[in-house]
Amino acid sequence: MAGQASFVVVLTNFERELRAAGLSVGTGDLLAYCSAMAALDPSDLLDLYWAGRVTLVTRRDDLPVYDEVFRRFFLGGGDPVREMLTLRAQVTTGSEAVLEVPATDPGDEPGPEQEATLGLMASDAEALRHKSFAACTPAELAAVRRIMARLRLTPPRRRTRRARAAPAGRTPDLRRTVRESLRMHGEPAELFWRQRRVRLRPLILILDISGSMADYSRHLLQFAYSANRAAARVEVFCFGTRLTRVTRALDHRRPDRALELAAQTVFDWEGGTRIGASLDAFVRDWGRRGLCRGGIVVICSDGLDRGDPAVLATAMERLRRLSHRVVWVNPHKGGNRDFRPSTLGMMVAAPHVDLLLSGHDLNSLEELAALLPRLS
Amino acid sequence: MPVTGEGEASEIASRPQTVAELTDVLRQGGYLADRGLATALFVALSLERPILLEGEVGVGKTEVAKVLAATSGRKLIRLQCYEGIDTNQALYEWDYARQMLQIRALSEHEVTGEGAVDKLFGPKFLLERPLLEAVRAGDRAVLLIDEIDRADDEFEAFLLELLSDFQISIPEIGTIRAEHAPLVVLTSNRTRELHDALKRRCLYHWIGYPPAEREVEIVLVRAPGVPEALTRKVVAAVHRLRELDLAKPPGVAETIDWVRTLDFLGETGLGPEAAEDTLGAVVKERDDLDLVRDHLEEITSGAGYSGG
Repeated sequence: MAGQASFVVVLTNFERELRAAGLSVGTGDLLAYCSAMAALDPSDLLDLYWAGRVTLVTRRDDLPVYDEVFRRFFLGGGDPVREMLTLRAQVTTGSEAVLEVPATDPGDEPGPEQEATLGLMASDAEALRHKSFAACTPAELAAVRRIMARLRLTPPRRRTRRARAAPAGRTPDLRRTVRESLRMHGEPAELFWRQRRVRLRPLILILDISGSMADYSRHLLQFAYSANRAAARVEVFCFGTRLTRVTRALDHRRPDRALELAAQTVFDWEGGTRIGASLDAFVRDWGRRGLCRGGIVVICSDGLDRGDPAVLATAMERLRRLSHRVVWVNPHKGGNRDFRPSTLGMMVAAPHVDLLLSGHDLNSLEELAALLPRLS
Repeated sequence: MPVTGEGEASEIASRPQTVAELTDVLRQGGYLADRGLATALFVALSLERPILLEGEVGVGKTEVAKVLAATSGRKLIRLQCYEGIDTNQALYEWDYARQMLQIRALSEHEVTGEGAVDKLFGPKFLLERPLLEAVRAGDRAVLLIDEIDRADDEFEAFLLELLSDFQISIPEIGTIRAEHAPLVVLTSNRTRELHDALKRRCLYHWIGYPPAEREVEIVLVRAPGVPEALTRKVVAAVHRLRELDLAKPPGVAETIDWVRTLDFLGETGLGPEAAEDTLGAVVKERDDLDLVRDHLEEITSGAGYSGG
């Protein structure tokens, strides 16, 4: 049946095109596609389209990509102007050692000198913690990133509806009690208890990566990466002139690769800022679907907004209602305790924010990491 | 076409052989499916794989499972998911109260031995929940797992296992296997991203809002006796409503409700006053109400009727 075999080859090539376009399609899906076409009419283009869409695509966001690849493959359509440029950015990661061993003269007693060096190291690290990102040299930035990679962000917990057996629980576990009492002729000899399980709240990070935040954005992204590694449900978004979801890009084991992938998905690095419109997009596309329900939303931005303040106000109000707590991290706050928001964006957003922190140096980020579990 | 009860082999053999047949069968049951949905359901039936229907609220995801069951003579088994649902509510549970009474009775009559304990775990004491029912029914049932996005990860993992083998082993009774898998329809409102493994197991179809013409047809089928002119005006207004930035855009179910309400009140057109009075049938959020009231004129423009 040469005809069938060549048809399968056609479908396999189509699947390969889809994979090249970024869809994750497996061999199982291809098998399902072939079986589906066996049940349908292979010469009907509509059947071909719908069967592929049903078997090969698993997410709504992939549908436009599927449409385009289908058009290109089966209909020979021309390439529309692609917004996405796939660049391969080579990042050379130099692994420097943190410990700097100074050259000692042979025969010298290394003891005291080493101690002195270590002392210097400690105070270096201490100074680094309080140095604003904007004022760091590249070497210091690298050191900061390494320290940040070890930060553990833990969102606060909430009680869920599921229960588990716990001797010190508050509600009786009837099921288990009865089961155990079946052994004793139906006498409930021992009462078992259960307790509602506690779960981490989802954490949503929304990072401003526009021009005014240029010094801080890459560190915040690193921070988001460590948060992603640490907590269970973390979503990370970036915005400048528009909102991009980078959670999947940050889902990589090697931090440099993850940051590289994230950098590729975002297009408006260091461009203008439209906080209101981006937050509005977040609320409309993600918030309403329940992404931040019961969760903590952390917005890292300086509040310099070029858009309409009314849009920002509405978006912040809606966001506040949709989520459990809203935290705003503003690098310009610095160490100033009685910080009064000076930019229009901050003034508009401040009433809707539960906690205002600064994010200008490592110390403040560690403060954020420390405060986070206690927010409830 | 009210068909209830378990079907027999002959009814299964009357499974539609082409997509067009399936579309006709659904139409006879009162559901208008477009080409994509009909193809998706046909593929699901042919390959015996579960299908995941995602879409906006009120576009007929649950309805299609009901109609499919009714028109093909299968039993509809429905499992409504919620957060914290576990195997005891979904799969099976032992009737503990009865078991305890049975123990008491047995011990009173001093019946001992193997048979006594076996009787305690007989089928009399097993409370079958929807998933077990579905496995027993096999391909005589349509299993509707509604709003799977409201359940949590643990339940998804358990469901994945079930959907792969369709066999359940109850330690006290044995293994129950389904000869042929039932048609499984999962629905989701996309409030949460489902696990990849579950999505891979199922076929996927997104149901969007229907175009205006089709929506008019749907309303005329679901609400017979309603004048077509009124329906057209209402559908036009609803389409304009969907273009507004509402928190809860109206679905097809809301369109049908609105048409029915207006017809009941005796309106033949959709003027601003009539719209204002019946807005509760189509807009369900306070913020949305305010927004819609501001734009009421332009929503109902061209849909009003001449005269008072």
